[in-house]
Amino acid sequence: MTDIATRATRVVPATGGRRRQNGGGPRAGVIVAFVIPFFLPFVLFYLVPIAYAVWQSFLVVRRTGGQYGTSYTTFGGFEQYVQVFQNTEFWASIGRIGLFGIVQVPVMLFVALIMALLLDTPLLKLKSFFRIAAFMPYAVPGVIAAIMWSFLYSPQLSPVVDLLKAIGLQPDFLGPGAVLWSAANVSTWLWTGYNMLIMFSALQAIPQELYEAAKLDGASNWAIAWKIKVPIIAPSIILTTVFSIIGTLQLYAEPAVLRQISSNISSTFTPNMLAYAVASGNNYQQAAAISVVIAIITFVLSFGFMRLTSKRAGL
Amino acid sequence: MSNTVTRIRVAGAVVAAAAGIVGLAACSSPAPSGNASAASPCEPAKGKVTLQYWNTVPGMDQVVALWNKNNPNIQVEIKNISNDQYGTIGNALKAGKAPELAQVGYDELPNLRSQDAFVDASACADATAAQSKFVPWTWSQTSFGGTGVFAFPQDTGPMALYVRSDLFKKYNLEIPKTWDEYATDAQKLHDADPNLSITFFDPNNAEWFNGLLWQNNAEMYSYAGDKWHVTVESDQSKQVAEFWQKLIDAKLVRTDLAHGSTPMYAAYQKNQIATYVGAAWGYSMFRDNLPDQSGKWTIVPMPTWGSNPASGDWGGSTVAFMKGNTHLYESVKFNSWLNTDPEALALENKLGGLYPAATAGASLPALAEGVPYYNNEKIFDVFAESSKNIDTSFAWGPTQKTVNLALQDAMAKAAAGNGKVADALAAAQASALKSMQDQAIPAVAGN
Repeated sequence: MTDIATRATRVVPATGGRRRQNGGGPRAGVIVAFVIPFFLPFVLFYLVPIAYAVWQSFLVVRRTGGQYGTSYTTFGGFEQYVQVFQNTEFWASIGRIGLFGIVQVPVMLFVALIMALLLDTPLLKLKSFFRIAAFMPYAVPGVIAAIMWSFLYSPQLSPVVDLLKAIGLQPDFLGPGAVLWSAANVSTWLWTGYNMLIMFSALQAIPQELYEAAKLDGASNWAIAWKIKVPIIAPSIILTTVFSIIGTLQLYAEPAVLRQISSNISSTFTPNMLAYAVASGNNYQQAAAISVVIAIITFVLSFGFMRLTSKRAGL
Repeated sequence: MSNTVTRIRVAGAVVAAAAGIVGLAACSSPAPSGNASAASPCEPAKGKVTLQYWNTVPGMDQVVALWNKNNPNIQVEIKNISNDQYGTIGNALKAGKAPELAQVGYDELPNLRSQDAFVDASACADATAAQSKFVPWTWSQTSFGGTGVFAFPQDTGPMALYVRSDLFKKYNLEIPKTWDEYATDAQKLHDADPNLSITFFDPNNAEWFNGLLWQNNAEMYSYAGDKWHVTVESDQSKQVAEFWQKLIDAKLVRTDLAHGSTPMYAAYQKNQIATYVGAAWGYSMFRDNLPDQSGKWTIVPMPTWGSNPASGDWGGSTVAFMKGNTHLYESVKFNSWLNTDPEALALENKLGGLYPAATAGASLPALAEGVPYYNNEKIFDVFAESSKNIDTSFAWGPTQKTVNLALQDAMAKAAAGNGKVADALAAAQASALKSMQDQAIPAVAGN
């Protein structure tokens, strides 16, 4: 989920020219020795597959002879991309995921921020317990979390649904309108603690003197939180936002699991599910083109967001 | 932060450059030459041969162990690929490392054949002679209605109607023989108990729906004049779609249960559903998941559209001769034993729950006796009769999986009230034409 950003930053020492100029001789050997264990798998299992997918996306299938014939692939230029852009299911899935992200990401990050700020106040007791408790869902694999929640959503099995029915409500968590938000709830449950921890560790790095100075100037705890803490950890908040945007565009596990019990999640519900469905129909070239387009949209949105916020915040 | 942005930009440039280099090095697969459909030679090997056999059947290791014990010169190694059956097979084919034999569902045969996945074993006398040992419709699937032998049928899912006889008795209902009677009973059951539905319609189960289409002779594909003719949307298929549409509209069937899911079993457990339109392999699902309902179920022929008996198949699979197989002689010997020998069939039925495609299967002791869960009724006689009534000219399409997904997505909309089941047929028809075009398979709509 967060791999793209972290890995991309790590590659820099290997390619950054400045250090190599300073070094030379035995130092270069040391650098190579340290870098190779990362760089080799990075090339083999990251760059090469990406390049292969890009290449695949420019191919088309052709066939010779008979009822079944024999297929082969040939260069087709942007033919697959034209199809992606004409695919209404694709744009519907992007729209769906956009709606998901616009609601889920701010809600999740706001809750994470509040939790991080609470953990950082001297007032709270049992801090390490709450920290671990909030982080715990992140340790649950996404698929397991989705299975667990699917039991809570199912009208046949869920004690929650039974309770709500007992007080006269008719909840339908898996209905056509609600299922997107049921998936969003699973994501929020899974990732809030993780985002909280990133923000919390940023809070921990703030020197105590700042708070003392603020208190001497008569600042309330409230003012310290919103006027000092939040602005200082803004880079962390931006980082978690970028991770969340990437995660949203790559959403797969939660809806794919909920699909097992709800037909209101189609096979093209999210862009990644669409790519998977297309690949399972042997149309690898089209699936590759979809993946590349998703990647480009992800890059544009994440960098667009970073640029926007770094200008505004003057970071 | 801006520093990070530049760094990532540098990394992006590296990625792009690497992509370019690898892209240049790679090349597209060349156009094939020669005739791919010719039968491969069938020469016995000198000395010991080891065959790879990939399958998804529980307990298959014990069946193969029995073969290996008695056939030291034709050893079989198995691999269970139930995690990702067609993904594993597809990847192996791409890598040129397909096994000699692999389990393939009937509805995936044309797809894999269009990926050039099989070899024709018809040069082996034992292969062509095997035809008489299988139920007719299964052989027409594995031979694609021609003279080639690309796979041997293994198991089948002839369909029937599972009925809660106690509930039908309670509400004084006759067990339905036609779909019209079934719809009438649906209404009566619902009137008697608003929480009771006659069955459920799982829109995400195209395989099940296809079985219903098959029963009504709603043939989806044919081949003539060098083109596939796509008739997913036909009068027969619309008749099936409109029937279920009526039940959905009147809220006489549940649409919120996924087949085989825990919620589905819970609904049966709570006596909310009175019948199940299912296949032969379903008998153990009820026996194992709903032990409390022992003695309450009976199995009868599927309701029919007219007065003639007709049935459909849901599921089952074949053992296919895969591309690159250079030991066809030995493969045919093993495959033939595996799918026609009474001892092998009995073991597969006991361990894997397979309902055999071989006609010899009907006389297996386990399939000739009454089943305690079903009041000691001889339920397999019903399935054997069902299998005889399955249309032999029904054929699957070369992009069936994609078509199934399109059908499901559109049926889900219908179940949610945003469209009709018949619209799903149109969506599936369009998907069939589009996906075949993507695979460069010549196809036209209609006969």
